[in-house]
Amino acid sequence: MQVSRRAALIAAGAGIAVAGTGVGGYEVATYEKPEPPSPPLTDKDGHLVWRNWSGIRHSYPSERLAPASDEELGKILKTAPAPIRAVGAGHSFMPLVPTDGTLLSLDQMAGLVRVEGDEVVVRAGTRLGDLGPALASHGRAMANLPDINKQSLGGALATATHGTGKHLPAIHGTVTGLRLVTPQGLVVDCDATKNKDLFDAARVSLGSLGIVSQVRLKTIPNKNLHRRVWLENFEDTLARAEARWNAHRNYEFYAVPFTGLAANITHDETDESPRPRGPETDSQFLEALKGLRNLFGFSTAVRKRIAHSVLMMAEPKAEEAVDQGWKLLSTERPVRFNEMEFHVPAEEQLTALREVVAAIEKHRPDVFFPIELRRIAPDDAWLSPFQGGARGSIAVHCYYKDEYEFLFALVEPILRRHGGRPHWGKLNSLKAADFAGLYPRWKDFNDLRRQMDPGGRVLNPYLKGVFGV
Amino acid sequence: MTIIFLLAACSPAAKHLTPAEVAALKPADAHEAELYAHSCKACHAVPGTGAPQVHDAEQWDRRWKKGDDVLLSHVILGFKGMPAGGQCAVCTPNDYKALIRFLADKE
Repeated sequence: MQVSRRAALIAAGAGIAVAGTGVGGYEVATYEKPEPPSPPLTDKDGHLVWRNWSGIRHSYPSERLAPASDEELGKILKTAPAPIRAVGAGHSFMPLVPTDGTLLSLDQMAGLVRVEGDEVVVRAGTRLGDLGPALASHGRAMANLPDINKQSLGGALATATHGTGKHLPAIHGTVTGLRLVTPQGLVVDCDATKNKDLFDAARVSLGSLGIVSQVRLKTIPNKNLHRRVWLENFEDTLARAEARWNAHRNYEFYAVPFTGLAANITHDETDESPRPRGPETDSQFLEALKGLRNLFGFSTAVRKRIAHSVLMMAEPKAEEAVDQGWKLLSTERPVRFNEMEFHVPAEEQLTALREVVAAIEKHRPDVFFPIELRRIAPDDAWLSPFQGGARGSIAVHCYYKDEYEFLFALVEPILRRHGGRPHWGKLNSLKAADFAGLYPRWKDFNDLRRQMDPGGRVLNPYLKGVFGV
Repeated sequence: MTIIFLLAACSPAAKHLTPAEVAALKPADAHEAELYAHSCKACHAVPGTGAPQVHDAEQWDRRWKKGDDVLLSHVILGFKGMPAGGQCAVCTPNDYKALIRFLADKE
């Protein structure tokens, strides 16, 4: 049986850990914390709980509605109990969704509407995992996709969700037109020539202008991509990262704290025949890292030495695959986590990363998740974190059963000091005044928001804080 | 070696149905079929997601023994890799019960 590089890594990491500590060590390595405390299933009025993907946000909506048309959506926005918040896959770690009013699903407003040359019109309730095969059936593809494929297109746009690639913008950067259903029940189409201000504001708008019900997207021919994944020394990756962002269509890497290593991933267009990726092994890699944490977390020096040695013992060959982009760029994420991600100016990214890794290795031996580094091309949406220049993202993850609050005190100050803007859906402590200082068109956006939603029908308490209402 | 592979073990893929057969499964009830297609199917009919695969008795029988209330609670509140609500924002408790029965092939 041919053992893949990562499977070998897993076996090596786990094997050394167990060999060094015996059966008792096995129990320590595989120890699982209990599930975090859960909120009650229902509130005092019998409303069922809604909870986000990671489990840290919840609410008890009085209504749960799933409109099937723009007209139906318009009536709901005008008359249903406020706050009215739309939810897709619930992948946001910030409380964008929680409402005791109306929880809105766009699952009935999903699918490809039509293909218009190089562009496609797609309903906003479409899950990204469904968009890939739908486009592929017409020979088209998204140039870029985020890490997880469960989100709805509308949710991904609302929070400026992105993939990686020096010349590739976030998903909202490929939007050439959109339809917005306003809190006053109006259906408004906009693009770069029609209702331009609304178009520039609505592409990234947190559901604060109303609900985007469908969008027109630029697409590319659906070519195969060649995927390579390999481990190398963290310092070597830092030295070569800029060159790799220049050389590859999609490049990202994961700094693996407490190992001195980084996992590199490239995707490039190819005419090669498909060589499918095989079963997902990221979860096993995480299990091995957790096991090393459990066993050797008492000493960073010991943990780092053992982890580096055993993980590098694996075969030096990179893991490779060739397939359509939608099958490779997004991955299953069966292990839940909480996450802080900031987008810093591209030239600050690697310096900021060094500081983050050093801080975590000094103060938080409980962390075992890798830190994800991506690069995003600029766009001109008013609330796009990528407005005004290319940005590099730094995403720090914590296992969903572990503490994450330390991110605000330890990691956020570093990322802010380097000029970072937070990912709209991920952990941050910023308020209206902070955002006003980060976004040149903040006041314009807020003025337009007040015009579109004078009654604040689509603002929940968190968003009122964001917009200083 | 056994211990090594136990430590690195992952959920086994469905053994009794082909991937095409798994992908074709859906609840008989149209409403449940729609909810299943929008939410459950993305993980429970895709090997490697860690989710127990639809109609896979080997994966479902030990879970089924936990009883309706425990399974329902795990679905609504989330449990291990299972996200709360199964990413179905409009499912009712009765919808969830029906979908659990379908997934476990206990209809």
